[in-house]
Amino acid sequence: MMELTARNTESWGEWIDRHSRTLFIAPAVSLILIFAIFPTFYSIVFALSRVRFSANGLQFRFVWFQNFYKQLFGNDQVHFLGKIEGLSAVGTVFLAIASAAVLWWLYRSVRTATWVGMIGRLISAATAIFVSWIMGATLLSGNPIGTLLTTLFYVTIGCGLQFFIGTGLAFLCSQPISGKSFFRVVFFIPLMITPLGVGFAMRMVADSSKGPLLPLLDFIGAGNWIWSADAWSARFVMMICDSWQWIPFIFIVMLAALENVPRDHVEAAQVDGASSVQIFREIIWPQIVPVAVTVLLIRMIEAFKIVDLPNIMTGGGPGTSTESMTLHSMYIWRSNDMGTSAAVAYLLLILTVVVCASFFNYVVLGQLRKARA
Amino acid sequence: MSEASFKFEKADRSLMERLFEPPAVGKMSPAANVVAHLLLVLWSLFVLFPIYWIVITSFKDAAAVNLGPFYIPFVDFQPNLDAWRMQFNIEPNCDLAAIARQVGLLLYNTFAFVVSPIVALQPMDPQICKIYHAFTNSIVVSIISTVVCVTVGSMAAYALARIQYKPKFGNIMMFVVLCLLVIAATSYSGVPWWASTAVALALFFLLARAFGKHFKHTLGNGDILFWIISQRILPPIVVIIPVYIMFQSVGLLDTHLALIIMYAVANLPIVVWLMHDFFAGLPIELEESAQLDGATRFAIFWEIVLPLTRPGLAATTLLTLILNWNEYLFAVFLAFANVQTMPIMVAAKNAGEKGIFWWEMSAIIVIMIGPVIIMAIILQRFIARGVLLGAVKG
Amino acid sequence: MASGKPGVPVSFDKVQKSFGAVRVLEELNLQVKPGEFLVLLGASGSGKTTALRILSGLETATEGRVRIGGRDVTDVLPKYRDISMVFQSYALYPHKTVAENIGFPLKVRKVNQAEQDVAIREAAAQVQLGELLHRYPRELSGGQKQRVALARAIIRRPSVFLMDEPLSNLDAKLRGHMRAELKHMQESFGITTIYVTHDQIEAMTLAHRVAILEKGVLQQLATPAEIYNNPANLFVAQFIGSPPMNIIEGALSGDTFQTSDGKIKTPVKGKAAKAVLGVRPEDCTVTSAAKGDIKGEIFTNELIGDHTLVTVKTDGGLMAVKAAKEYKGKSGEAIGVALLKSGLYVFEAEGGARLR
Repeated sequence: MMELTARNTESWGEWIDRHSRTLFIAPAVSLILIFAIFPTFYSIVFALSRVRFSANGLQFRFVWFQNFYKQLFGNDQVHFLGKIEGLSAVGTVFLAIASAAVLWWLYRSVRTATWVGMIGRLISAATAIFVSWIMGATLLSGNPIGTLLTTLFYVTIGCGLQFFIGTGLAFLCSQPISGKSFFRVVFFIPLMITPLGVGFAMRMVADSSKGPLLPLLDFIGAGNWIWSADAWSARFVMMICDSWQWIPFIFIVMLAALENVPRDHVEAAQVDGASSVQIFREIIWPQIVPVAVTVLLIRMIEAFKIVDLPNIMTGGGPGTSTESMTLHSMYIWRSNDMGTSAAVAYLLLILTVVVCASFFNYVVLGQLRKARA
Repeated sequence: MSEASFKFEKADRSLMERLFEPPAVGKMSPAANVVAHLLLVLWSLFVLFPIYWIVITSFKDAAAVNLGPFYIPFVDFQPNLDAWRMQFNIEPNCDLAAIARQVGLLLYNTFAFVVSPIVALQPMDPQICKIYHAFTNSIVVSIISTVVCVTVGSMAAYALARIQYKPKFGNIMMFVVLCLLVIAATSYSGVPWWASTAVALALFFLLARAFGKHFKHTLGNGDILFWIISQRILPPIVVIIPVYIMFQSVGLLDTHLALIIMYAVANLPIVVWLMHDFFAGLPIELEESAQLDGATRFAIFWEIVLPLTRPGLAATTLLTLILNWNEYLFAVFLAFANVQTMPIMVAAKNAGEKGIFWWEMSAIIVIMIGPVIIMAIILQRFIARGVLLGAVKG
Repeated sequence: MASGKPGVPVSFDKVQKSFGAVRVLEELNLQVKPGEFLVLLGASGSGKTTALRILSGLETATEGRVRIGGRDVTDVLPKYRDISMVFQSYALYPHKTVAENIGFPLKVRKVNQAEQDVAIREAAAQVQLGELLHRYPRELSGGQKQRVALARAIIRRPSVFLMDEPLSNLDAKLRGHMRAELKHMQESFGITTIYVTHDQIEAMTLAHRVAILEKGVLQQLATPAEIYNNPANLFVAQFIGSPPMNIIEGALSGDTFQTSDGKIKTPVKGKAAKAVLGVRPEDCTVTSAAKGDIKGEIFTNELIGDHTLVTVKTDGGLMAVKAAKEYKGKSGEAIGVALLKSGLYVFEAEGGARLR
């Protein structure tokens, strides 16, 4: 009897060991399949339907692309794309230049790209021209912009700003400076603070009736200025708060990259007579570019998901001017319109994938190849 | 190249040069030193001021806030503990017995869903001791989901670093088609979800057995790794509505389990990404020698590989823990009353109609961000060693 | 080949260096003659690299002055010292081609492109790199990388060459080859060269003079022959020579060295209760057990090529003896070792100072 149990348990162990190939990876893959891939497909059904709650569960009615049409051309257009009325001269010129640049880039790559690559380039180009058209028709024609451009504003301008400041701070901290370790710890902290807490703290600091910046604003004669009442100032405040949180991320990675540049290289350049500027431009920068573009890509991916900050600081206001696409989708969901909500979410997914994949293919891969060639 | 261009004597150097050139290698020139310190101190102020402000506001009372702004405690205003006391005493029922009951319920619920997700969870009174409730919820959810995520994620990362997988492209396509069929059948034809899923799973295994051999095109480990990591691009808002419906149909809405699963899934890509890099960097000889000694794969993983990656594992765990603690969007959709986490509670209070009590909110937020600031300072020491850089470079 | 610049003298004047509480260099005084090839030899941690880095300006001396060409450069930035340096890791910039690497010192001095190209081609030709100018460092072999680093150092004809173990990353065969080339190049340029190494063969073959450092203290500064034939102390005697000098402990009185199993006549007269007798393996010969100054038995017997190295087990420990390559003794065979009188050195047991 004893023997039997022993053998039994052993065969169990053997069975596990024989299937360890599968057992190691199965939990992760199943989790992702069930809770990420399956819902992504499921979401298509929502996006293509009108969904109602009823006594016996959800009722789906297939409506083809109506939900998308509503966002792009129908009565939700102002909310999503912005007010598209009368293309101004500036907008037209901008659209023309942007389109020409994109088409030129496309033309130049015709000869070298494979046909799969070409399809990718066509999608990137189409998206770029579409976004330029929206920009020309709304922003540059004096019309309010929608959540699409607001999101892109957070992503492009925000990430750009964060990258420059983050890299600059990292460079300063890589220099022989006293108190380095203190600055490192302090600069790192914001990244880890709950975004909601950041939103609230910033809301208090930026408060225009009893906030700590009042004396400063009074001093420069802007005591009555209420940032949350104006669309662009609200967006900029939002972006600055987002930067407050995310500059540390760029900082910490770039600092590690800077410190990873072999000391020998810098010393050799010093002996050879290079100045600090020359050393940075000629020796250090080329060696950290691959890390720089990768960290920028990661930051962009996360930036597309921004929701906590606008939600707590302005609730998307004034109007819908600080709403990101995630917040847009969330608000529609709150009004129980699941189909439209899913459609907006899908548009965000498409935008994220196109922008990030383009950046990855045309910028990051190029730099990585150069570094490894 | 000519000697004339070199200056040897210190006396040769003009005032400008003395200001802008370092006195020696490894030091900074006086001008650069001043500018750099100025910038760094300014940025430190910019970083620290909001945190400082929220901490001092939590020690203010209504008057000190509304007549403000006041900056320095004891000079500008008299700090008091009203806001803090309010967190603990405003509810008349919030005595020790109530707290004990809440903790007991939490433990029971944690146990219940660990044993089986089907066991009904005890409803906890959301009105009592909101802060304890949210805080313990946050702790339970983020710790358990971190453990799940890091365990599952490092296993997958290790497997991808050491075992060759060759999934058939045809099988994957078959899976996708069956997925779509299940969704269509459930949504439009009113087939119960469990029936369609069971049929589809059965079909998948049958078809994979029957036709799997004939598919020629296979993918490699790199593809699987890229696929897992690229899940991070997926905006959570895309999956959250279907996930909401899925959890609703199995009755798991507003439970710890739902949050734990979703938090773990959301952070899996990060864990796999970071841990894969650590595992791939280990010398394979150790594992090979253990294999020759007759150790099973799990034994090798547990006894040899994990201890070797301890610093990386610690950093990854801490990072996941912080991300889970801060998670907001999933909680908004999946948690209403029972499992409200700290961020949800803060957001709900913030949206209250009575206007915001800054001092009270500040106290809650200090409670919310206190743990993460401590964790961040610990994590920073790991990151200072460049633990995360390898992954970014890879 | 005509030299670009006459060599300049270099001097260390009471140079000290501490990192925190750790003293890595004790009062170093060193005069290097113009055009001299000086090797700093020492084990790791002896302070030799620190001395070189102080001379290069990458490290600052805690005390003392450094002079190049008679000018005090103690507080001068590396770029104003007119030196060039070859690093142990070569420090080639991975993102620059061979040509860009070699031309970098000129580029940062804003020399125009045409002049740069001429100089690059000339420098590359001097180290036989002409074919590889458009490659990247990662596409080069170790020896080629070494040549690029050399070319980058010679392109602007500095007053002083500094080399920090430049050959230690090469395999043995290539090292011998590069050694010869380095020596030839230094002689043809006539540029003062300070060379750091832990390899005594490099030191002996390359140097005009060798400075041996140990624990931050200069032990001896002399020509290679002088160092070999006339070591200043026990450390130098043991450090130089392969296999190292045999050591026998005992006492000296008059010209007799008393060991545990016999008396040995030495060329030195003196009195020390505790002394050490040193004798190089090539000054020992294997004889019969009756005749030798020291008795023992054969421990091992290794044929090296041009000679046989016999390890003899004696009362005082193991002794290495060089014998003819035809020598065939069996392990365990009792033999005697005869010592050549003129090859005997006597040191104090405490401190290791040489007794003369």
